[in-house]
Amino acid sequence: MNNTAREAILGSIRSHLAASAPYDDQHELLVHHEHPVILSKISLVELFKQNVESVNAHCIITTDVTDALRQIIADLKARRIAISDDANVERWLRLTDLEIEKLGVVPDAQDIFRFDVGITTAQAAIAETGTLVLDSAHERHRLVSLVPPVHIAIVAASRIRETLSDALTLLQNTREISPTVTFITGPSRTADIELTLAIGVHGPQELYVIVNEST
Amino acid sequence: MKVSLFVTCLVDQLWTSIGVSSAAVLRRVGCEVEFDQRQTCCAQPAYNTGYAHEARQVARRFISVFEESKADAIVSPSGSCTAMVKHYPELFAADPEWQARAQSVAAKTHELSSFLIRVLKTEDVGASWSGRLTWHDACHGLRDLNLKSEPRTLIRNVRGAEFVELEHADACCGFGGTFSVKYPEISVAILDQKIEAIERAGVQAVVSGDASCLMQIGGRLSRKGSKVRVMHLAELLAADLRG
Amino acid sequence: MNHLSSETFRENAKAALADAHLRGALKNATTLFGERRKQAAASLPNWEDLRTQARAIKDEVLLHLDRYLEEFVRNAESRGAKIHWARDAAEANSIICTLATGRGARVVVKSKSMTTEETHLNTALEAAGMQVVETDLGEYIIQLAEETPSHIIAPAIHKTRRQIADLFTAELGMVPTEDVAQLTSTARVTLRDRFAAADVGISGVNFGVAETGTIVIVENEGNIRLTTSLPRMHIALMGIEKVIPRFSDTDVFLKLLPRSGTGQRLTTYQSFITGIKRRATDEGPEELHIVLLDNGRSRMLAHPVTRQSLACIRCGACLNACPVYQQIGGHAYGSVYPGPIGAVITPQLMGIEKTSQLPYASSLCGACREVCPVKIDIPRLLLHLRGEITPRKGSLGERLAFKLWARVMMSPTLYKMSAVAGRLVQRIVPLSRAWTSGRDLRPIEARSFHDLWTNE
Repeated sequence: MNNTAREAILGSIRSHLAASAPYDDQHELLVHHEHPVILSKISLVELFKQNVESVNAHCIITTDVTDALRQIIADLKARRIAISDDANVERWLRLTDLEIEKLGVVPDAQDIFRFDVGITTAQAAIAETGTLVLDSAHERHRLVSLVPPVHIAIVAASRIRETLSDALTLLQNTREISPTVTFITGPSRTADIELTLAIGVHGPQELYVIVNEST
Repeated sequence: MKVSLFVTCLVDQLWTSIGVSSAAVLRRVGCEVEFDQRQTCCAQPAYNTGYAHEARQVARRFISVFEESKADAIVSPSGSCTAMVKHYPELFAADPEWQARAQSVAAKTHELSSFLIRVLKTEDVGASWSGRLTWHDACHGLRDLNLKSEPRTLIRNVRGAEFVELEHADACCGFGGTFSVKYPEISVAILDQKIEAIERAGVQAVVSGDASCLMQIGGRLSRKGSKVRVMHLAELLAADLRG
Repeated sequence: MNHLSSETFRENAKAALADAHLRGALKNATTLFGERRKQAAASLPNWEDLRTQARAIKDEVLLHLDRYLEEFVRNAESRGAKIHWARDAAEANSIICTLATGRGARVVVKSKSMTTEETHLNTALEAAGMQVVETDLGEYIIQLAEETPSHIIAPAIHKTRRQIADLFTAELGMVPTEDVAQLTSTARVTLRDRFAAADVGISGVNFGVAETGTIVIVENEGNIRLTTSLPRMHIALMGIEKVIPRFSDTDVFLKLLPRSGTGQRLTTYQSFITGIKRRATDEGPEELHIVLLDNGRSRMLAHPVTRQSLACIRCGACLNACPVYQQIGGHAYGSVYPGPIGAVITPQLMGIEKTSQLPYASSLCGACREVCPVKIDIPRLLLHLRGEITPRKGSLGERLAFKLWARVMMSPTLYKMSAVAGRLVQRIVPLSRAWTSGRDLRPIEARSFHDLWTNE
């Protein structure tokens, strides 16, 4: 596509860099050293929970996901539930025996706006920041985790990593980085009006994270 | 220890007591002070306004004068002028001969409080001054020369002086050389923040290490009819040495 | 409303200084931002190391920008992204309009992108018959108000909640309220529909990873995720300087950017987008177009002092720290990029003809350099630009004054004639009225220090 522009830009880069050469030092690309995070004596799960809660999200640690789901959905009085295509999510939801008016499995772009709650899993999580890692190659959860006003995310305790850097390494260890990876830290927010924090803008207004210790 | 005093053109023309005080303080702590009459300016006004060629001309003059000195150190009562001299090697990046000469002079040049604390290891010059005062961190001294604790240490050892930390002591006073007259409205708006903090501090004097800041702050204080006086650190440290 | 020109910077600044609402809003915002940044930086014991690391990475990329760009392009294309090259703003707009109209788009949703402001993309899209919806709350507010952004990361920072409430009532028929949650909710509800109906989503890019062809975009609101997930076509406009070498490098920048910008440890969402979906049944756009923009950036590579301008990660920290910006806000600069970074990149991107005042609008205090996560030496850059401007735009009077000044300063004899020197000071400071209108002037001493010493 537009090779003339490409050549012009690359040519401009090269000629200007050449002009700069007499004034330059060469910089060795420094290898990034991960500075160890000195954790307190608490576990990764505890640290994760603390950080999730510090960004106005809820965190429940449990071995019974169904029970946790049941409580949350009942409290919310949610009737219209969208879920990702992860088989466990549908199973856990059905086991809650809750009355659901409308269930959507990966609703499309038009339909997705008609749900109260979206339930997905997360492929990994980051303890030092309270972040969920959603990898689109493993689950169709892109819109379910974004559009409904409440997002419930279930993550296995064993998938919690310590640092952001660990999570990036994990993502790169796959065959190829997936088309979309999303990091989620808390519900959506803004401070665009007088720098006053408002929770719930375009993304979910509430985020529940269920840490599944049973796997 | 032999010291060559670089008073700066501003002190020379507009605030001689800073020069007199600096010499007095240096002698008090045991230095022999010389003053090379050939000195003029460090070239900062030209350099900061974008006249690098003229700045280099005057910088070469400075280097030529001071490299002849047999003194152990060149000391100046100005953070911004000292910082300018420290930038001389950069100014002569394209001229290895002058850059080397600039480097030797720059290495020997010190701001007054830095010289007292870091070189002479002297924290108490035996001064006394009675009253409540505060300190304004002049930008170049603070950010180019890392002077933060040094002036405060010296002030705290002035007998009788009650030191209070100014809110946002490190905020710019708005001088900035020709900025103060190219954009006077902005300069004064920035200055007024500093004045308000000074008024809130309830002090009798505000002290700083740069005559330019003192002119800016003092000029506004007097325009507003304030009783707060401005003082250079050298004047404070020399306070009891007068009569 | 505020489409001020940088040519009238001083007048713009005076008007801003007279605007009490604006000054109040600026004081609150810059103070808060500054406090939060400071705390966030202090919470990381290796903050200084991170800054050094980030700058080293940027220096490396910029020194070999052609190579890293080509690597980025290769990898992005291998994953199904289409790359377009735009030499200037007009070309970028043209490419984007063609893509959108080719898709038959009528409605375009946009997330906040300073680069699209730089090219005035919205105007071009509207001229091509499309409706453009800004979805970032701050951008949405200024779009309604028909204004331009006044801050790199908080576009509506100059508006009080009262002004925003009045705006929403007038434009959206909202029931009057100054409650921030309500205001936000109004925007959320109004914009929901627009996302669903949009044919094309346009975003910027925070970082483009050469190693994998990934674009990384960060946000708090969720509008970027919506913009880049719902419509069938996603167009991302990316300045050529946004490239970073490796995927793992995002760690350093994600530690620095949110903390420097808003004081957050991390923004709510980071999207790592690599090409397009693998299967038709997957969610997300069918097409991803990345438009690489030069628009004067490559010129900045010609000297190490100017090249560091391209290291900027658009955090806005320098704006909040700047005593000038704190007083006058962003509009006075008459540029998409205000504040310290704006004062250095605007003249370089746009040429100095109309922007020559900007590099002088600084007291050189260095607060910006202190807070910059990638250690850009903005004061050094300002001096460099001043040096380029004086021969071409400096007034004859000033140029002569400094030539004369240099003569005097090189001659101890001339210098000692203090009357001469004194008068010169007046001439270099051409308007002593500029000083005395607000401040008393210290009189020139009757005897100089030179005189006093001689008589010792």
